[in-house]
This record gives sequence, C-alpha cells and structure tokens, in this order.
Amino acid sequence: MLNRLKELLNLPWLQSAADASTCSPAELIFKRFRRVLQVNNRALTIIADLGEKLSGDYIFDQQYIIRSTETLTETVAESLAALNILTGNKYQELDPVFQKLTSRLQAIIARREDRHGPQLIALDKVTTIDWAIVGGKNAHLAEMAHDPQILVADGFVITTCAYHELIDANNLREDLDRFELMMADPTVAAADLDALRQRLERGVLAAEPPPGLLDGLTATIAEMGGDGDDEPFFLAVRSSAQEEDMDFSFAGQFHTELNVAAVADAVFDAYRKVAASLFGAKAIRYRRQMFPEDGQMSIAAGCQRMIDSRAAGVVYTVEPDAPASDHLVIVGAWGQGEAVVEGSTPTDTFIVAKQAPWEVVEQSVADKANGIYLADSAGLVEKSVPSALRSKPCLEQQQLQELTRQAVHLENYYKRPQDIEWAVAADGTLFILQCRSLLLSEPSGEQRGLPKLLDQYQVLSDDSGRVAQQGIGSGPVVVINSPTDLENFPDGGVLVSRRDSSRFITVMHRAVAIVTEVGTPVSHMATLCRELRVPCLVGVDNILSKLTPGEVITVDAEDRRIYHGRVTELLTYQATNSMNLAVSYEFRLLRRLLQAVSRLYLVDPLMQDFTPAGCKTYHDILRFSHEMAVAQLVDVGRDEKSLRKHHLARHLDLPIPAGIMVIDLDDGIAPDAPVDQVPFTAITSLPFRAILQGMLFPEVWHRKTMPVGMKDLMSSMLNAPSDALSGQYSGHNIAIISKEYVNLCFRFGYHFNIIDAHCSERERDNHIYFRFLGGATDMTKRSRRSRMIAAILDAFEFNVSTRGDLVIARAGNMVQSEMERTLDIMGRLVGFTRQLDVCLDNDAIVDQYVEAFLSGDYGIVNL
Amino acid sequence: MTEATGNDRIWRLLVVDDEAIVGKRLQQVFGKMGFVVESHTSPAVALEAMAAQPFDIVVTDLKMEDIDGIEVLSRAKTINPAAQVIIITGYAHSETENEAFAKGVFAFIAKPFRLDELKQVINRALDELRQQAVVPSAE
Repeated sequence: MLNRLKELLNLPWLQSAADASTCSPAELIFKRFRRVLQVNNRALTIIADLGEKLSGDYIFDQQYIIRSTETLTETVAESLAALNILTGNKYQELDPVFQKLTSRLQAIIARREDRHGPQLIALDKVTTIDWAIVGGKNAHLAEMAHDPQILVADGFVITTCAYHELIDANNLREDLDRFELMMADPTVAAADLDALRQRLERGVLAAEPPPGLLDGLTATIAEMGGDGDDEPFFLAVRSSAQEEDMDFSFAGQFHTELNVAAVADAVFDAYRKVAASLFGAKAIRYRRQMFPEDGQMSIAAGCQRMIDSRAAGVVYTVEPDAPASDHLVIVGAWGQGEAVVEGSTPTDTFIVAKQAPWEVVEQSVADKANGIYLADSAGLVEKSVPSALRSKPCLEQQQLQELTRQAVHLENYYKRPQDIEWAVAADGTLFILQCRSLLLSEPSGEQRGLPKLLDQYQVLSDDSGRVAQQGIGSGPVVVINSPTDLENFPDGGVLVSRRDSSRFITVMHRAVAIVTEVGTPVSHMATLCRELRVPCLVGVDNILSKLTPGEVITVDAEDRRIYHGRVTELLTYQATNSMNLAVSYEFRLLRRLLQAVSRLYLVDPLMQDFTPAGCKTYHDILRFSHEMAVAQLVDVGRDEKSLRKHHLARHLDLPIPAGIMVIDLDDGIAPDAPVDQVPFTAITSLPFRAILQGMLFPEVWHRKTMPVGMKDLMSSMLNAPSDALSGQYSGHNIAIISKEYVNLCFRFGYHFNIIDAHCSERERDNHIYFRFLGGATDMTKRSRRSRMIAAILDAFEFNVSTRGDLVIARAGNMVQSEMERTLDIMGRLVGFTRQLDVCLDNDAIVDQYVEAFLSGDYGIVNL
Repeated sequence: MTEATGNDRIWRLLVVDDEAIVGKRLQQVFGKMGFVVESHTSPAVALEAMAAQPFDIVVTDLKMEDIDGIEVLSRAKTINPAAQVIIITGYAHSETENEAFAKGVFAFIAKPFRLDELKQVINRALDELRQQAVVPSAE
C-alpha cells in the first residue's frame, strides 16, 4: 500500500494531463487550481459519506469501510500531487504527514493501533484518540473524569502498549500469535487451546517489566503525591480490556487487585496478575462464547487511588424486571463494594424515582452484620459492622438523591441504561468507580407484538424527516428558539428546534433526543449527535406546531416516529435489546477511522499551526491544500497586467465603486458577456451572484465619508505593515469564481475580508468560510467592529470565533436556496461594515448597529 | 411502516450474509417490526434452515465463499416458489443481475443502503406475497 502511495504522490500521469502546451501560463495555473478543487471536493464527499453511515440508518459492512478508506487515501494523495503541481512542489513537507496519517489508518484497519503509544497515561489526560490503548473501562472513567458533575478517583492507565511491550520483552509474542490464531478458529477444541493458554498465563504472571515501565510508574506515582513526604497511599488496579464495558459486560471475568501500596514494584506485581487474567480459563471461555471468530484482544489496567469507603454498591438505572418504570435500583452495603458485587453479604436495596425530587419509592434495609474493609498493610479484610450501624440504611436520604441524580445524568450521557459502581468516602464524598451499559435479557417473544402495542399511542409524526443518529429517547419537550434557551436545558429533555445548530453541543450530554424541522444528516450538528450518540431526527415537517413545551414525547429515531407521551414498550425494547449498534465492531472501526480523518483542527490560516506539520487529519490536509491553492492563485492575480492582457482577469462593472476583478475558472460568467467591464447581470456563478446581490441591496453600500480622526489615521499608518500579514495584499479586490464556487478577497481601506463559498444543489458540499481582519482605526474600535460582525454572523447561525480584530466564521450543509440567502446577507454585511469601525465610539453603539442590521435598517449609517 | 403482523400471518425473513453485522442489524430492525428473522453467516447453514422451514422473504449477499447469492436464490425458489428473494451486494454486474432476474430475483440493492430502501422493497415483496395468496387460481 505504501509503495502504491508513493507512486500516487509522484503522479507522472497528472503532470502530463495538466501539461497542455496550448495554454497560457495563467490558464495552466487555473487548470491546475481547478484540479485541486475538484479532487478536494471528491475527498470531502467520501468523508461526508462515511460520516453519514454512522447514523445507524444504513446497512454497511467492513468491505465498504475498507474500500472507502482506500479510495479516500488515494484521493487525498491526488490532492497533494495536484497542489504540488500547482505550486511547483512547494508543499512536499505534506508528504510525510500524509504518510503518517495513512499508516495510522492502516493500523486501525489491521487492529494494531493498540500497540503504538505511551506505556502510561494519567486518567484525566486520556482523550478519545487514546481509547484504543486504554481499554473500554478506562475510556469511560476518563470521560467521567472530564465531567464536572461526576467525581472519580484520580489515577493513571497502564496502556495496551505496555502490555504489548511486556509480551515482546518476555518472548511471548510467538505463543500469543499462535494463540490468537487458534482463538479465531471456532473449530479448535477448548482442550487443544488450554496448554498454550496456561503457558501465556504463567508467562505473564512471571514476566519481567518491559524497559522503562518501573521508572515510569515511580514517576507517575510521585505525581499523584506519593513521593515519600506525603502520607503513603494505596491503589486499586483494575482490568480494562479492549472490548470491556463497551459491548459486553465481562463482569467479573478479569482480575482486580485492591488496596495495592502505591510503590512501583507492588503496582507492577498487581498489574501482572490483572494482565495474566486475560488468559484465565474463565475469561477465555467467555471470549470464545461472545466473540467466536475474533482472536485478538489486549488488556490495559486502570490504577486509581483507593477509596476507604464507608459504604459502597451498585446502581442499575432501570429496574431489571420493569425497565420502563422510571425508577432505578440502588444496592449497597457498609464498607467496600466487593461485598455487593460478589454477593457475599446481605445488602440494602432502594428503589428511587428518576425524576426530581428523587423520592425513595421502596426500600429494604438488611441486617448487615459484616462488611469488607481495607486491611492496614494491603488488601481487604472482612470485619463486623458496629452494632449501631448494622440495621441502619447504608445511604442517607440526601445521598440517595445525589446518587440518583448522578446516575440519571450518566444514563442521559451514555443514552442507554447503565450499571454503575459507587462508593461514599469516610467524609461523605460520593465517587463513581465504574459505569457501563446495563444489559438486560430480552423478554422472549414480546418484541414480535411490538407494532400492535405501539398502536395504542398517539403518533405525532410518522415517516417524516431523516435519521441523523439512531436511537430512542423519551422526555419533556424543550423548544430552543435562541442560543440563550440552551442555558437552562434540563437533564433528560427532548430538544426541539426549527433549525439544527452545532451550538446544541453544549446540551447534548443532557438531551435524550433532538428533533429539528430543518436540517440534514450531514450537518455539523448531525456529526456531533453521532459522536455523542444522541438519537436525532432532522427535517421533521411542522413538528413544532404539534408540540407544547414541557409535554412528554417519545422519539423513535429508528422508525422515524414521534409519539405523544412516554412509550414504555419502546423504552423496554431499547433497554433489553442486546445489540447496541454504536459499539458493534464495524461502528467502532468506522468511528475510529473518522476520528483520524474527519475532524478539522486547522481552522484559521492566520494561526501559527496552519502548517503541514499542524495537519492532524486528512480533512486538515485538504483544508491546507485548498488554502494554499487559493493563495497561489491570488498571487497570480497580483500580476494584473498579464492577466488582463489575456482577459483572464476582468473588471466588474457595478453601480457601486467596489473595484472587483474577476477570474473566471469555469462558467462563472455568461459566455456572451463583454470581455471587460462585466455587468452584474452576466455573473452566473451562484455564490458570487448572491454576494453581489447583497452588496447592491438598497442602502447597504453607504456613501457617507467617514470622519477619520488623526488618532485613527496614525494608528492605521502604524498598523499597515502588520495588517498586510495575510500576505494577500493585492491592491484590489479579487474574486475567483466558477459556476458553484467563489473565493473573494477584499481589501477595503485597511481591512481584509475573505469569503470562500461553495453553493450548489448538493447541500453537503455547500460551505461558507468568512474571515475579517484589521481596519484603519485603533485596536479598540477595530475590535468593536469584529464584535459587531461576530454578533451578526452568530445570529445567522455561523460557527464564529474571534480574537482581537480577527473574526472567523463557518457555516455549511445548507440547501441551495438557504445558501444563496445567507450569501446575500454576507454581501450586505461586507457593504454595511466597510467603514463602520470609525463610528464605533462606544460599546453601546455596537449593539445598536447589530440590531439595525438584523432588522434590515441599513440606512442607519447615513444618519 | 411495514405491518408484519396485523391481519396478516407472521412473515418469516431469512438473512444470509458472511459479514455478521448485516444479519444482526436486519434482525434487530425487522424483528422490531414483527417479523420472525433468522440470520446466518454461512450460506450452507442458511440453506439447511430453509429446508427445515421455508421463508417468505430471503435477503442474501451476492459474493460469499462456497455458495453465492445466485445459488441461494435458486435453492430458495426451489424450496418455496412463492419466496421473494432480495440480493444485496457491494459489486453489481449486469451479467449477474440478468442471471438473477432470469431466476426470479425480486430486487437488487447495492450496499451500503439506507434501511428505508430495504423496508420499501420488502413492503413491495409483501404486497406480492399477499396477492399471490388472494388470487392463486387466477392464472
């Protein structure tokens, strides 16, 4: 594969294709530029396609994922080649970045990515990128560690990379490879596997630490505060296998060592026992049963500060025998939770309502004669419970409520019923020790009657809209009309809105479902819903008119139905459905590939990391390549003389003095238009036409001469050189256009404004990128103008970021008519804000101008 | 939404695909809609299941080791001539399509596909089955 890539990167065929001797140099450059755009669009389409498959609304298989990834890799390689041809090999540094990313994708597909990375990671430093090397359980713990509502004990992960290093350092690799091959073959008898299994188990138990691990442990433990001066502390060392907690419970299959002295040798010793349990007879039986044709699995360990718990236990966020009851079950005992999970002592049981004020519906308090406690030196010991406590509930009312609130929060976060282990420390602090999907057994035969049972519910919407993310959610309707509505979004609400918005991210962890009237399954919001698994329907006709805020509805984003009320049968179906789509191997594979492919880290070309080395994904590479291609073309545009000689750059003839030169790549200007002084009516480029229309809107292009003060003038003179840092100063305004594309670089006075947009029938290809920088006034006024522009763009649902006098905004995935409308607004904004910084003497005026713009009162400037 | 129950009898659906995910997903989706769904990754085992008790609708992958989708189609039609067979495939060639249509395939669907597409095709197949049941002597 890598050789094939190198071939692609050299691409002699592409060079010869572009080598049209009949072209003038400028035409050749246009041709090459077009090629970059075309290839980039193709690559972005593949990425969008892959992303959409995650919604759950498609049937796909591994073959599809592998094929698409290969095509994508080849297309990105083509993009790089096309960029290098356009720029005379200016960006060869991208090649190693691209190859590194490609190897990573290959490692993901070959399931070898658990071998590359650090031996140890602090729990609160674990990000989604590390999931493959920390195992399922630690991934969940890390997510909770980042959640301000949840407290988990601090600690670190001994990664799967450390495990692989241990295997290699102790010459166990050959045995392991053989063993995994046998595991992948369901016809191999268990007895034939056993000798090898035992050898691996013994081998790991007696293993020497891989180089660097003990030193790393010593340093990591010291960071946790165990460097001798502090009180000695202890750790819990728990298994975290790759699949653990994600798909299958693995409950009790692997080894756990509790109360281990926080000393490198002791931790390594405990770790070996945990790692060896991957080859325990019990775990192997379970694996063969659950993954009959899957031989590979590696193990990580989570090492967390041991909590000397007063009480501990488990929460099931649904009642196993009444999954739709809206109650949860808490089981607990005095001391450590081992007493509860091992079922070794009598326990208290509480049934608690899941809605505030979380009333205890039922409780049974046991006579708890004994409890499990931390032993003084290490390990656990069973002790008798003080007689005054024996018959007392192990949790007080307030603790039950708090635990319930957190459990419901976690259920909403993971969008499925959860099995949660908790502990209350001596000082009363509540810790969450573990959180995993709760798997209930399917009530046999009941499912078949589901369609009948659903008939009794009032259907609010049927067969309308598209699935952005599959799933089922029920809760009260929360209508979002403006960003401020998001501030008090309740845990467990169903978000309903006219349009989709990536801003919903702030409440996605609390929302049980999202429904919008307008939107597409490939929008940024849809992508976020898939990342966070929020059931989501978009484009549901008129749903707002059928709902009242606060009424409870059930959203079935599988069959595209919305019901009035709480449909307990669907919730039961969801809780008992053994297959959680999001954690099936194919979905996880696709998700991991997309993480390495589709995120955009390079947002702003003016940031320092906008370099080849800053590219972390294929999408970054495409973004970089696009920006550099545009820069190259603008460079050509500077040479106005030669361009005009060949009529490649043409003046626009507009009723406003905007001074725009147009470079038409393809069908952007009507063929019968005059060669120079092209009138507005001859512009056929969809996005450019829309922008011009906005600029020409009555009163937008104000003629008033702005009173530039001496201070402003001085400031602009001082600032000019640094303002030119965009490197795109061209002395005039250049529009590079085609039928569906525009890249517009404005320089009015001392500010730079760029609009890059694609507008066509294919909404997923549509985007707007808007950048604004600088001005002729002092920084305060310029910043005010930036704030004004940001507020306006924000109101039009752009994704906006500002820094000083820089504004960057993005929008996309809109249907063509909406794109045109938005671009028209962009045009008005360009005209309206042209010289406004001069007027922005105080902050209050900013709001006034925003208000005026939003209400169409463009004439305010002339007052 | 397809009514697999209601006034109809309960329809039996068989899924044959060597990638387990396809069967698992379809089992989930059509099970929820009230079908009896069986899925197999081995075509040989699927054929045995068919022989043991016929299916109304068979959804099969085209390219599989040992026995391909065309073979599954022929056998399904032999065992139950009324059975409606839908072939899902990542690689469609007009030749195989022609052969499949000659052998009575109900529809071809290219993978990956949206669940709705398959639901619609299965709806049409059910209409066909119902008509056959109502007017068996009309021909």
